[in-house]
Amino acid sequence: MDFRWDLVISSVPLLLQGAWLTIKLTTIAVFFGIILGTLAALLRLTKGPFRYLASIYVDFMRGTPLLVQIFIIYYGIPSITGGQISPSIVDIWPFIAAVIALSINSGAYVAEIVRAGIQAVEKGQSEAALSLGLTPAETMRHIILPQAFRHIVPPLGNEFIALLKDSSLVSAIALEELVRKGQIIVGRTFRPFEVYFVVAILYLIMTVTISRIVSILERRLRVGE
Amino acid sequence: MAIIEVNNLHKKFNQLHVLKGITTRIEQNEVVVVIGPSGSGKSTFLRCLNFLEIPTSGEIIFEGSVINPNENLNLIRREMGMVFQRFNLFPHMKVIDNITLAPKLVRNIQPDIAVEQGLNLLEKVNLSDKAESFPEQLSGGQQQRVAIARALAMRPKVMLFDEPTSALDPEMIGEVLDVMKSLANEGMTMIVVTHEMGFAREVSDRVIFMDDGLLIEENTPDELFNNPQHPRTQAFLSKIL
Repeated sequence: MDFRWDLVISSVPLLLQGAWLTIKLTTIAVFFGIILGTLAALLRLTKGPFRYLASIYVDFMRGTPLLVQIFIIYYGIPSITGGQISPSIVDIWPFIAAVIALSINSGAYVAEIVRAGIQAVEKGQSEAALSLGLTPAETMRHIILPQAFRHIVPPLGNEFIALLKDSSLVSAIALEELVRKGQIIVGRTFRPFEVYFVVAILYLIMTVTISRIVSILERRLRVGE
Repeated sequence: MAIIEVNNLHKKFNQLHVLKGITTRIEQNEVVVVIGPSGSGKSTFLRCLNFLEIPTSGEIIFEGSVINPNENLNLIRREMGMVFQRFNLFPHMKVIDNITLAPKLVRNIQPDIAVEQGLNLLEKVNLSDKAESFPEQLSGGQQQRVAIARALAMRPKVMLFDEPTSALDPEMIGEVLDVMKSLANEGMTMIVVTHEMGFAREVSDRVIFMDDGLLIEENTPDELFNNPQHPRTQAFLSKIL
């Protein structure tokens, strides 16, 4: 069998650069995803007309391929703003488009996670808070969300992992994250097995690390339960 | 002046007509016990008083003004303490934080003063040593006493008790009833839904008997227990006494 260990080793530095971009992309996207998702979840739990807007958002993002969403943002936004994007951001446009696409996509999944977490908090909790004179907003903030957070952490960790892997799709818009870096090296060396093998190992290291962090966090949050 | 007046209160859950026109009044410092068979609407009646359930029709008059469900209900609710069957302590907060949360948030009490008042209340319910515990570390009876202290911390004008001892092991019922008795002796206005007839006899000024969404009979505990007028009251009492 012909396995080129030297290629494995020589490809690592470049792939680590790609992995770093993957981490940055995913972390930023999860951060905005949590904010968007929490807002969408809260909207879905209100009685006003905005809850339909939130439902449409969630359904659209979960019901269409992420790759298509990335294309809509990356190619679509410049095309409807007159075929061009401002020269000041043209260099980082792939990164911005990737962050936007991954954030709004992740937000939809986070919305469902947050909604389930909120609904898992016993009804008596909000009744007790309301009976003490807390407003519905104070009840949500001090009583419901902190308890929902415990239910939310494990699936949120899964979402982080899923998004980290899905972020490989932005290689399609030439953003040099981990997979794209791999493609570039393969293009030069014609050794896909070794290169993608290292790529896979790097993804594995990242996802295992995340699930470890999540389970530590989970244990910390179990205080008083 | 009555502190709470209830006029022709109806509550429907979809097709289910739970309250079918309740009219009564609660005087200042009065202890009223509500009894009746399961499903008679006692708890729903109590929960309508602070609008945890929004009445379908009829009015609740608190301190002379009609409660409007479109107003800020939290302004009314803070004046009415409520104790639940399942305690409903906040599991993510220590006992003392359970008690001080609402005074700090709703009444803008300084944190150190809120803690001081909270510790006094814990002393009153004989749980001084549990301030730093989490609810799950307490027995049911202890949790319920914390829940009473938590409600009292808002200095409510009325206390509503929704079957406060029904979820407790028998040996813990006494400690909760004792706290409620001392509260009654201090002149707190109380409305208590309960199956504890001993408490009703001993502590209450008035007993209301409800059945099938109606207020069937109300009287002093002596009269109601020893000389019930309505056949349904007689039937109920003969089953439980």
